[in-house]
Amino acid sequence: MSATASNYDVIIIGAGLGGGIAAGVLAEAGQRVLLLERGRDLRYRDIPGDHLRHHRLSLYGDNTTYHPTGHPRVFVDPQGRSRTVFPHEADYHNNALTVGGGARIWGMQAWRFHPDDFRMASRYGTPVGSSLADWPISYADLAPFYERAEHEIGVAGDHDTTDYAPRNRAFPLPAVPATPTGAWLARGAAKLGWNAFTPPLAVNTKPYLGRNACVQCRQCIGFACPTDARNGSHNTLLPRALATGRCTLITRAHVARVLTDASGRAYGVEYFAPTTPDSAQTERRKVHAATIILAGGAIETARLLLLSASAQHPRGLGNHSDHVGRHLQGHYYPVVSGLLPAGFENPNLGPGVSIATTQFNHGNPGIIGGAMLANDFVKLPIIFWRSHLPPELPRWGLANKKAMRELYLRGIDLRGPVQEIPSPDSRVTLDPQIRDQFGLPVARLSGTTHPETVRTAEFIRARAEDWLRAAGAERVWSSPMDLRLSASQHQAGTARLATDPSDGVTDPYGRVHGHDNLWVCDGSLNVTNGGFNPALTIMALAFRAATKIASKS
Amino acid sequence: MPLTPPQLEALRALLDRLIPEDEFPGALGAGTDKFILQLLKHACADEAPVIAESLTQLNAEAVGRHDLPFGKLPIAAQDALISELEHNRTTTPWPAAFPASEFINRLIDLAAEGFYADPTNGGNRDATSWRMVGYDPLLPAHPSAP
Repeated sequence: MSATASNYDVIIIGAGLGGGIAAGVLAEAGQRVLLLERGRDLRYRDIPGDHLRHHRLSLYGDNTTYHPTGHPRVFVDPQGRSRTVFPHEADYHNNALTVGGGARIWGMQAWRFHPDDFRMASRYGTPVGSSLADWPISYADLAPFYERAEHEIGVAGDHDTTDYAPRNRAFPLPAVPATPTGAWLARGAAKLGWNAFTPPLAVNTKPYLGRNACVQCRQCIGFACPTDARNGSHNTLLPRALATGRCTLITRAHVARVLTDASGRAYGVEYFAPTTPDSAQTERRKVHAATIILAGGAIETARLLLLSASAQHPRGLGNHSDHVGRHLQGHYYPVVSGLLPAGFENPNLGPGVSIATTQFNHGNPGIIGGAMLANDFVKLPIIFWRSHLPPELPRWGLANKKAMRELYLRGIDLRGPVQEIPSPDSRVTLDPQIRDQFGLPVARLSGTTHPETVRTAEFIRARAEDWLRAAGAERVWSSPMDLRLSASQHQAGTARLATDPSDGVTDPYGRVHGHDNLWVCDGSLNVTNGGFNPALTIMALAFRAATKIASKS
Repeated sequence: MPLTPPQLEALRALLDRLIPEDEFPGALGAGTDKFILQLLKHACADEAPVIAESLTQLNAEAVGRHDLPFGKLPIAAQDALISELEHNRTTTPWPAAFPASEFINRLIDLAAEGFYADPTNGGNRDATSWRMVGYDPLLPAHPSAP
């Protein structure tokens, strides 16, 4: 084994949204940072515009994974049958495996959570069988860091109408342009007496922080951005970290375990990496640092805590009260499709999401929580063919071809991320049999969300249908939701924040209980996942944790 | 495992009915058959044997009903047979592990994937389907992203 002398103050595992932010904050605070990332540092040209292999439709692969077979997972279905799954399969619950993580290809919705998203148990009680709990912090604790993320990452929005949560400062970028479909939906919302406004997106609607504006292309979500107008930590905080000269980024680095001493203090990591940056040969290395930050996403961070079991911590780090890997959650997405009236002039421009309502995030009679609802991104023809043609149409022949021709530009759909009611049985464990290319047990995903999630999702689906009908859609249809494991959209919850170590894995800042120099900076921290896309919350938590770490050194 | 000439003929005839030509080229005019053959050679190599077997069975089914292989049937008979197979109404023994409806549904999916995906995938020559539906990715000629 090759041992690296400790040239680092901090080791960060994972260069996604959270890890990139932690790297930027800490390197600028003077710390020497080692950033280990399992993926590659992909340029625009390295992420193919393949409509069958991207991150919204990954039929035969995706456009970021470089080792499609070396890192399987095991998925256990609700009937208890397990099978080995690979990154492009839905049951893998993938995130883009690249520097920048999911933000390289994301839809950019940059929402703050609602104040009541932090106090779900207080507001609704905890349903039997669920692990619904309050966060140990409030919206007010996170608000300054939301603001910082909006400005340092770059979020476009309308300050005056985005009023479901208190805000002190305008967005740094003007909201995405209004669209004809958005205006049509706004009239529908007005008829129903609902709020509707332009959603916040982390996109350069004008040049910002040295990068160009969005050109409204139609190959948006799931692909790399041709003008680098899609914002994340990969084009903001990470370059800032590297510019200090104090941050070293190593790609294709797979961490095997976090090393802890008898007192529980983390003192380094063991990892596999190419012998030289482009080599196919890998070697095992050990590196030390005073602080370790896990930012691999809710599935891999939980796996790493479990893989790092020691004599003192036989069940894994932070797992004193059996919470590591549990409460795995994401977002149920009810999708409601419809047809715009015949003759509607739809310019079909990207990003496409242009109107949202927060009317149903809370306060729904007899329902726990709810969801934000919005229109969807510009849609590829093959995705329209697969999922958005009227269901009674023949799937082949001239009738199908004619429908594609006549209806593609008339397709409209609404969807929303339903706040899930977590279950402790929806979880990540280590598979007892299947190993990755380095011989390490892979993540095993099992269980389902709590049935209350399905009830909320069905309520939201009905409201989305109401909206399309009120707007005047020629017809409206959707499919019922079923009970299943949910983590492919917005994985979260597996190292939940808790003041009392018996209630979770991490303290209210994200430090692993019992290991005072081991931190988590990703969606694992989320006690609940909000009725919104969680990226801005992950970013705010990362700014807050990194600021805390910097202030202590 | 390459398809035999009768299997290939059945595949092409089937694709020609799944996405027929009208004012716009159909699957064959757009090269969707070649897209599927490439896929069966590479990404879907595991599926190739059972697809090949099913194409033989498609011909057997056509011969059993009309004494002609699928590709030689009149268009109306081809369409009628596809509809029958979608509902597993067969007169010859199809493999239990891959019934006729699954075969037809898989070919319907593969045809659409090739025909409506990006031209680089090979089944949407000259972006013919995109022009038909009114889609252009509008990517800048000179991307400014690093």
